Amino acid sequence: MGFSLTGTHVIFFIASIIVAGAVSGVFIAVTMNVSNSFSERGDRVQEQLDTDFEIINDPNEIPTSNGYYVFYLMNTGGKRLLTTNETFHIFLDGEIAAVANYHFNDTYIQPSEVTEMHVIAALSGGSHILRVVGPQAIDDEFNFMI
Amino acid sequence: MGFSLVAAAAIIGVSILVCTEIIIGNVSPTITGINDSYDDMKNRAIEQVQTDINITSATTASNGSNYDLNVAVKNTGSVSLKTSDFSILVDGTKQQFTCSDSYLYPEKTVYFNVNNIAGNGLERLKIITDKGISDYYSYILP
Repeated sequence: MGFSLTGTHVIFFIASIIVAGAVSGVFIAVTMNVSNSFSERGDRVQEQLDTDFEIINDPNEIPTSNGYYVFYLMNTGGKRLLTTNETFHIFLDGEIAAVANYHFNDTYIQPSEVTEMHVIAALSGGSHILRVVGPQAIDDEFNFMI
Repeated sequence: MGFSLVAAAAIIGVSILVCTEIIIGNVSPTITGINDSYDDMKNRAIEQVQTDINITSATTASNGSNYDLNVAVKNTGSVSLKTSDFSILVDGTKQQFTCSDSYLYPEKTVYFNVNNIAGNGLERLKIITDKGISDYYSYILP
């Protein structure tokens, strides 16, 4: 009887250790996941706050080069801005431009620097709207005349 | 039974401490980073609001079939501006330039020189600061 009582206690002890360990493991795993996601979200928010740019063209005089319209994009944010077809998308009069139809002179620009964005498009005379969407969906809209 | 309860509570207690450490270790630098970025963004916005320039004059001189341009720009804002970060557009095209000073201090005027520009008739000039603040000016070539 004495032995079975001890055995029961040992079984209860082991069971409680296993249950507590499992609960702790799940608890730690969930906390790590939530914490990592929060950290990644924080990085994205930080990038959003650091990113800003502006089209600085004269809206009445858009220069052309080899059939491309040339737009000047200035990094007015606080960190290096990657200027590639993958990080930037452009909309002309509301229609997205194919990636092959625009390119940048530089792959990145530091704060306060300006790069040229070359866009090929069939634009009629009159006013048009260029919307440039950059990293983290930061965008700038520019009205211009052809 | 009592010892089992204590052991289980100890394990869960340790896991709570580990989780707390994980949360503090991750959340604290994230919040600090966001706070720093927010401060930087706020300072940029303040500088933009406090930045203003005025093109006071633009004189031209003949240079063969082209012309040279001398532009006087006054800082009418309250922030000092680095002149090498300026951009000058003549008839929409960005031009290389030289400047009389490295910095444009509030209420001071600096002179930008742009050489060998092609053009005729009415010309449009746009000068942009490093924060995207700009001013326009028109002049007629003789």
